[in-house]
Amino acid sequence: MPLMFQYSYMQKAFVVGILLSLAIACLGVIVVHKRMSLIGSALSHSSLSGVAIGLLFGFNPILGAVGACLFASLCIEAIRKKLPDFQDLAVAITLSIGIGLAGVLSGFVKNASDFNSFLFGSIIAITPFELYLVIALVLIVLLVFLLMYKELFYISLSEEAAALSGVPVRTINFIFTILTALTVSIAARTVGALVISSLLVVPVAAAMQIARSFKTTIFWSIFFALVSTVMGLTLSFYIGLKPGGTIALLSSLCFFAAVIMKSLRSRFSKRSLPLPNKPEDLIP
Amino acid sequence: MKPIEYAVEVENIHFAYNEKPILSNITFRIQDGDFAAIIGDNGSGKSTLIKIILGLLPPDSGIIKIQGQNVTGRSDFSAVGYVPQNSADSISRFPATAEEIVLSSLYKKIGPFRFPGKKHRQMAEDALFQVGLTDYKKRMPTEMSGGQRQRLMLARVLANQPRILILDEPTVGIDNDAVNQLLTVLHQINITNKVTIVMVTHDIAKVASYSNRVLCLSEKHFHESDLPSGTIVHAHPLQNDHRYEHIHCANCPQSHDSESCAACNQDHKSHGESERGHL
Repeated sequence: MPLMFQYSYMQKAFVVGILLSLAIACLGVIVVHKRMSLIGSALSHSSLSGVAIGLLFGFNPILGAVGACLFASLCIEAIRKKLPDFQDLAVAITLSIGIGLAGVLSGFVKNASDFNSFLFGSIIAITPFELYLVIALVLIVLLVFLLMYKELFYISLSEEAAALSGVPVRTINFIFTILTALTVSIAARTVGALVISSLLVVPVAAAMQIARSFKTTIFWSIFFALVSTVMGLTLSFYIGLKPGGTIALLSSLCFFAAVIMKSLRSRFSKRSLPLPNKPEDLIP
Repeated sequence: MKPIEYAVEVENIHFAYNEKPILSNITFRIQDGDFAAIIGDNGSGKSTLIKIILGLLPPDSGIIKIQGQNVTGRSDFSAVGYVPQNSADSISRFPATAEEIVLSSLYKKIGPFRFPGKKHRQMAEDALFQVGLTDYKKRMPTEMSGGQRQRLMLARVLANQPRILILDEPTVGIDNDAVNQLLTVLHQINITNKVTIVMVTHDIAKVASYSNRVLCLSEKHFHESDLPSGTIVHAHPLQNDHRYEHIHCANCPQSHDSESCAACNQDHKSHGESERGHL
């Protein structure tokens, strides 16, 4: 057994990291294609304000983070409805409120190290409660993602067309936003609020460079998120780096590797497209 | 006598955006099996009208019926296929295969929380075959031309076997050959499958030769020079039918019956009579 697995905290870190990578990568594919890449930043910063409230009033900061994230996600949906032509503004406005609140409230928190652990995560200091929370959450996220895959795909492609086809767009969007909020707030404790947004978006961006279908985009996103997490944890153990930051940097490295792979593939690819059909050949 | 069946009925529609009237007193009917083109200036409300017909925007007043049923409160639009404006552009970077994109429209047929089966894949394949994209089943939109992407969007709605096809500016941004291919497909669907087609377009020169109705929605009156009469007359010599209908003009906001409207009559006398005569 490798040295790092002889420590129970590293075993827990690997279980939590791998499970969260699976959930975050699945959610990330939809987030990116709904053109809401910044939602991770907005929610994770909002979760920090919940953490500060939890620490200030003496209740579990994770519960504070969950509450703040849910509230922020509902704010995003409400602003999106109010400004349908500027949907990205909804995320940006919530992001600035989240940062502002977290900044102001953190000034009142007596134990700064507690607060900082949520900024960069503390994957190696996971309590049994947090471990069970992550396992339950990831199972729910994966189950819902699998059940609503078809609906989420259609909404990502076109909300308007999905609504016309009978997809309950508002309900699906609501469920998806709640799931994202829950995942972000719980992941804030482990990988850290500041690196969630990169883990939500960068593996997807890398996957889009090489994937040849929506399903393979999900597959590659999970692959890149897992590689970043596993390598990040391993490096942090052996070299003594901060795990959260290392994971985020490695996911960026995956992106650049995918870009290089794509350019190499297009350079050496001799595959040619068949000629478009003639109009008279179109109909049997 | 059997009553005439209308695919789309629009009666006295009014719609204002930020208190600025966009559509006022719009009334027209599109018969089952028509190939109708809706034309008009930029900002005349063509796309708004389409969204109101589809129930995506509520009108301030008026009645819209699709296949005889009121659109207000209707949730099932499975009989209608809608290809929105710029939809081909919006999917140009979407990482999904043509088959995945077409399958998405079969949501109702597949059912919630279920995955597509063999039957659904066959339906998607048939739709891709109809638009001449069988070879592109496993290709992504990034590997297609603008015209092919537009036909892919058409295949997506065709898979659902709609009775009415509504297209918003489908010929924008694609070259002449691609426009001809698209219109050929639409014409065949209209003739062979008896699907009613309602198309918003600026490209009336091309579309007029396929359509049997031209609905003009414009602040300005429609000029004969805009309608290449030669193309119309030679392509579809329709008998005793008014292909051209003025459904809105600034001078006659209270009436769209061009027979009884003095402003329209005057306009048609000076510009449009030759069209009616030919048709």
